[in-house]
Amino acid sequence: MFRFSDILAPKTTVHAHCDLPCGIYDPEQARIEAESCYKIIEKMGQNSDATFTARAIGIKEERAELVKHHLDVLWHDYFKPEHLDKVPNLHELFWNATKQVSKVKASTDIADAKKLLDLIDEVDAAWKATGGDAKTRVAKQTA
Amino acid sequence: MTEPKPRPAAGLRRARGPWRVAVSEASMRPAIEPGDWLLVDPTVRRWPRRGSVVVFREPDSGTLAIKRVAARPADRVDLDEGHLVLGADEAWLLSDARDAELLEAGLGRPIDSRRYGPVPLECLVGRAWFRYGPLRRIGRIGRGR
Repeated sequence: MFRFSDILAPKTTVHAHCDLPCGIYDPEQARIEAESCYKIIEKMGQNSDATFTARAIGIKEERAELVKHHLDVLWHDYFKPEHLDKVPNLHELFWNATKQVSKVKASTDIADAKKLLDLIDEVDAAWKATGGDAKTRVAKQTA
Repeated sequence: MTEPKPRPAAGLRRARGPWRVAVSEASMRPAIEPGDWLLVDPTVRRWPRRGSVVVFREPDSGTLAIKRVAARPADRVDLDEGHLVLGADEAWLLSDARDAELLEAGLGRPIDSRRYGPVPLECLVGRAWFRYGPLRRIGRIGRGR
């Protein structure tokens, strides 16, 4: 059937873009990468081979970058202004955590990697305090 | 500061259109809704006035997009940390919708110059100037949100 709208409809589409977040957030993602940094520093302490050290530094930097990415996603996309009521030090916490990532990236001191894990655990507590564990994960199958 | 003269061939290429476009996605709400049909002037050869709505190719992806001109060549753009001064052929293009409104609709942050930076003149496709569909929202596209 003939319709005027078929003639009038534009053939070209333009996009008024915005992000489409999946809505899945969990500090565990950052912790696993931070644990990699921790273990690599531990292994570096047990092996002084130059090639091993060079490779380990590369891998540690790569993992640290992933930690930073996962923390940024949580900070920018998951946490909202209203969460500051429950976690008043939220911004300071993320500031410290991401700064600590940079420290771990350049450091071979295991204490720095341990401090990063502790800070990520604080982020995890903030995520749980704001209901993140109930709202942002897909439930696992129960037996 | 003067803007560079566009090449003559660009005029012919632009006259081929697009003259009409359909909008998808919501970052230009409330002025422009997804599903709106717009008339476009593809013969524009300079960045139009601030507040004008433009169709352009995103510099990083080439996707055909629609945003509002927030700043023109040689304008100063204030950023969170510092500022930048736009080049002789660059514009700063932003979305209308506020972050909070998009979050409420289950969407993320708008993708505009805050993501891909200044947009060069060669990416400009045209100026959207009139909405011809849906019928109940027919009319000129203003220079405000």
